[in-house]
Amino acid sequence: MTRFLLRRLGSAVVLILILSAVIFLLQSVSTADPVKAYLGANASPAAVAAARQSLGLDDPLPVRYVDFLTNLVQGDLGVSYRTHRPVVTDLQAFLPATMELVLWSFVIAVLLGGLFAVSGALRWRGSSIFRGPLLVLATAPPFLLALGGIVLFYAQLHILPANGRGPGETGPTGFLLIDTLVAGDPAGFASAAQHLLLPAVVLAIAPAIAIGRIMRSSLTNTLGADYVRTAESKGLTPFRVLGRHVVRNSLGPGLSMAGLQLGFMFAGVVVVEQIFSWPGIGNYLAASIPTSDFPAIAAVTLVLGTIYIVANALVDVLQAVADPRLSA
Amino acid sequence: MATSTDAPPAASLSGLTLSLERDGVRSDVLRGIDLEIARGEIVGLVGESGSGKSVLALALMGLLPHRSHPEVGGAIRVAGVDMVHGRAEELRAVRRNELGVIFQDPMTSLNPTMRIGDQVTEASGTSEESLRLLTAVGIADAELRFRVYPHELSGGLRQRVMAAIAVAGRPSLIIADEPTTALDVTVQAQVLDLLRELRDEFGCSVVLITHDLAVAGQIADRIAVLYAGRIAEVGPTGEVLHAPTHPYTVGLLRSRLSLGTPRDQELRTLRPETGTPAERMLGCAYHTRCPLAVERCRVEQPPLLDIALASAPGIGGEVALTADLPTDERLGPADHDRACWRTVDDVQGFIHDTANAAPLTSRVAPGPGREPAVRVTDLTVTFALRQNRRQRGAGSSAAREVRALRGLNLTVEPGEAVSIVGESGSGKSTLLRVIGGLTPATSGSVALAAGGAQMVFQDAGSSLTPWLTVGELLGERLAPLGLGRTENRARIDRALTSIGLPLSVARVRPAELSGGQRQRVALARATMIPPAVLLCDEPTSALDASLAASVLNLIREMRRELEMTVLFVTHDLSVARLMGDRIVVMTQGEIVEVGTSADVIERPEHPYTRRLLASVPEIGATV
Amino acid sequence: MSATGIVSPRLRMPGPVRARRRTGRGLSWALVALVALLTLLAIFARLLAPYDPVQPIGALSLPPGSPDHLLGTDSIGRDLLSRTLYGIQVSWFAALVVVVSGLVIGGIIGTLAGVAGGFIDNLLMRFTDLFLALPGTLVAIAIVAALGYNLQNTLIGIGVVWWPYYARIIRGEVKALASRPHVEAARLAGAGPARIVFRHVLPGVIPTAIVTASLDIGNVVLLLAGLSFLGLGQPAPAPELGADTARNLGQLLTEPWIPLIPGLAVLLLSLVANLGGDGVRTLIGGRR
Repeated sequence: MTRFLLRRLGSAVVLILILSAVIFLLQSVSTADPVKAYLGANASPAAVAAARQSLGLDDPLPVRYVDFLTNLVQGDLGVSYRTHRPVVTDLQAFLPATMELVLWSFVIAVLLGGLFAVSGALRWRGSSIFRGPLLVLATAPPFLLALGGIVLFYAQLHILPANGRGPGETGPTGFLLIDTLVAGDPAGFASAAQHLLLPAVVLAIAPAIAIGRIMRSSLTNTLGADYVRTAESKGLTPFRVLGRHVVRNSLGPGLSMAGLQLGFMFAGVVVVEQIFSWPGIGNYLAASIPTSDFPAIAAVTLVLGTIYIVANALVDVLQAVADPRLSA
Repeated sequence: MATSTDAPPAASLSGLTLSLERDGVRSDVLRGIDLEIARGEIVGLVGESGSGKSVLALALMGLLPHRSHPEVGGAIRVAGVDMVHGRAEELRAVRRNELGVIFQDPMTSLNPTMRIGDQVTEASGTSEESLRLLTAVGIADAELRFRVYPHELSGGLRQRVMAAIAVAGRPSLIIADEPTTALDVTVQAQVLDLLRELRDEFGCSVVLITHDLAVAGQIADRIAVLYAGRIAEVGPTGEVLHAPTHPYTVGLLRSRLSLGTPRDQELRTLRPETGTPAERMLGCAYHTRCPLAVERCRVEQPPLLDIALASAPGIGGEVALTADLPTDERLGPADHDRACWRTVDDVQGFIHDTANAAPLTSRVAPGPGREPAVRVTDLTVTFALRQNRRQRGAGSSAAREVRALRGLNLTVEPGEAVSIVGESGSGKSTLLRVIGGLTPATSGSVALAAGGAQMVFQDAGSSLTPWLTVGELLGERLAPLGLGRTENRARIDRALTSIGLPLSVARVRPAELSGGQRQRVALARATMIPPAVLLCDEPTSALDASLAASVLNLIREMRRELEMTVLFVTHDLSVARLMGDRIVVMTQGEIVEVGTSADVIERPEHPYTRRLLASVPEIGATV
Repeated sequence: MSATGIVSPRLRMPGPVRARRRTGRGLSWALVALVALLTLLAIFARLLAPYDPVQPIGALSLPPGSPDHLLGTDSIGRDLLSRTLYGIQVSWFAALVVVVSGLVIGGIIGTLAGVAGGFIDNLLMRFTDLFLALPGTLVAIAIVAALGYNLQNTLIGIGVVWWPYYARIIRGEVKALASRPHVEAARLAGAGPARIVFRHVLPGVIPTAIVTASLDIGNVVLLLAGLSFLGLGQPAPAPELGADTARNLGQLLTEPWIPLIPGLAVLLLSLVANLGGDGVRTLIGGRR
């Protein structure tokens, strides 16, 4: 198990390095001229040359990559063309909001997915009625769901806000739900929860359905397995058969799908944050795209990509814990 | 017999009918079964695939798959509880306290993600009891094994774990569904012994479900023969095996290959099924295959009656029985019952009728002085242990390399047939694959005579490319010859004729053929240009006994006609004896004994060969 | 409980099964026909569009159902039906291009890896896994951002991250088929390597590949729309479904049809693609 853990950790580090190399290569082929963007389009040729020199843009590629990595490790991701602040400062400000949104959304996705899966596999009465609407929800573009949600719950029903995170003050964790609770601000907490609900659910729908589908088929397969028959032949209650024999053995595919979906959520969060004016790095990325702010785009890609890689490594470890055959 | 007729039976089935839905079609799987299992009794339930025997086991447990929408008629009672209409909690209590189950494949029947100790404890209640049970079923170092996962145990040990789960809670009835089929023959014998010991020690009854009359004969007190969802014959083991009264039982016994089957005669087979389901359901289900069938068999279903009642000959040699005779009399366990319109005398007269067993012409004499067809010299094959095959127990997980063959030497003369016998992991199939050029040798050499090797695989279905027609598959062999279109057609037609299939089969894809037909096509492809040696890798082990016999007949016939050299790999000594002039016994990658078939079977020298021979389930020469 | 051999499989399949299959197939054919219809719509979008999609042509912000403008007009008076039809054309063909190129690249790499085995297999699959382990959408965004915003670069960006999935699946199928006895039997029967690959292996891969690809078109439609929504597509004023929604977000609460209609068009494309994919799967039944 320890060896498996180390191996998985090692491969995650390698992947992060490769991701950084990809970003670096893209940066070096990027059509946006960093110097012009930095100094303004009217800078004199001499100033441009000096800036190139000082930014190390004339060095050979490998040298520049080493510089890039060194800067990365020191927490220097460059300066945003748009905000003219170090990208790291911007990210620090925006990352917690994104993490909070994605995390709760992921929890919702897994819970909803589990519900779809169990109700489908065990053929709960009425579960088939939802198949049509679910298919439509699963195939709808996230931005349409977001807009539909706003029109319905904000404009028509007036029950949910559709803008930002709410008036509560963030504290040490940066997670508004937790910080308002710690600060003893029930009104802020309630408002934060209200603000979170719509974007989190919108972001969760497609992953929930994907996870639910995979888990349903894996549950159905497991329910037909010989060892489940053995468990039933022991006279165990259905609850025990499910809990001890079915769920654990059907978790694997659902877990990998959840890991995969987490990646899609980090991409989907960009659109959702933009629509709900959620002050996260997705919104930051969305704002950086029209201005061709490549350092910001690259940094966001790198940060979200790293989170994705780490999350998937965790999923693999979880799977190995669930199934002893995998770590052998 | 450890039966006491006074006590209530462990289980009883009366008038049991069952239909299941598959792919939207409802079919009658069980069609009226009456059977009582007395306390402490072992009942063997024997039938071919499709007879309904496994479904019967699930019905006894109250675990019919609800996906198939089962419709049950009649009654099943286990320990006094109605298993058809009982409440779910009642059924669970019966399963927990009164029933134990052993399924066919111990690998898939144990939860792969749960330690075996926990799996036994789920049934036994406490870990002390589990340890005791694991020791009781013959698992050494039970404390050590307690914490391992199923994939870390060998097949035999896994089946013992299943047995420990089955006897947990001292059940009154153990249901064993083909408990030995997935196991090697020596392990098979141990598992059967274990079942008998469990009965003797715990006093429970056992229902042993198997396709092999001899396996049932090993330990059963009574045998019930199932055909198409009905009992064809039921009675004390000795009587059913040695004085069968139903044509189907006779047919099964006659087509069963044993160490005593005459080598110089064609193997006897059951008639293949020709009737439609509707035809079979009207009268006796067996009438379309029965050599003794008369008009009445076609139109009226024979009742299951005591042989004493059903022996009196009437008009036209049929049983003098009319429908108004009492059919509801209770049958004691010692009774011998049958469901057949022909008299017992007619059927038993047929047993000794050997008319349909044609003698074989004398075998091809190996030509002296000719080059050997196959010469294997110092052959070694080593595998890096990467893909851990699911069924193979990884008992020694430390071993990174497996030596499948360890310095083998073997010479096969032209025209000779050699059988290679061994258990799983003996290297017998690897040897065949190296000779066929499918697996590279690590060291040593294989020399073949001109003509090369052709192979017939265990699973004919998967050895034929599914999207090509039989004609295209056969034509592929002819491609290197560069014959014309018409000549190709003619050769394909000739090949199909030689295996007894109609020419129209050439336009058909393999999925549309039956298992036996596919194996015939595979055989035709291998032999349409006679190879130097025909390699057969357990070509009949996936087929029902009677079909297997017909394929073996075909191989022997082709060998005679083409004067072909044959290497025949099998795990079954009786098949090896029938197919080979010589027998090679392998274990753990080595040849431990080589000799003429008669010598190896009658005067085995190596202890391993003796052990194999002792484990072969036999009925004894009566039929 | 399988009745192997006793009865030929044909006899074991009486009428009702076939009848039921046929109705199932009828529905599947209908779904596939829907996809064909959509493709026709995309092909003839330019002929069907009543107006120039870029020029302001009518009154501002007409609601859907207006006499001359079936789907209404946007805030500067462009015909929404025309813009949507053009957008459907772009989205649909872009998605097809991505899927087909992914299938071709992934197919070649997967087949090569599966057939060659050993070192080449290892190398190609490591490379493939690398792409799979990176967050594809984000990498695609970074690629488009680096190369510049236009449809061609968007296709390149998605194309680069999209093929590995196919390579994995096709390599898996090839490997599974290549280890089946029928391939060994063909080898023994004297078939050469090329014949084995093209006659005994690849025909078995095709159903899976087609099913996988057809189920995937909807995903690509959504991804393209998402990138377009973020501004990583054709520059304005070219009609594009995602971008048309994003550009008109301000009208959501006043004239909701303007941003919603292009979004609903994306939903239509993705829904039809998914239903068609299901239909294809029922009809040819890939193994996964």
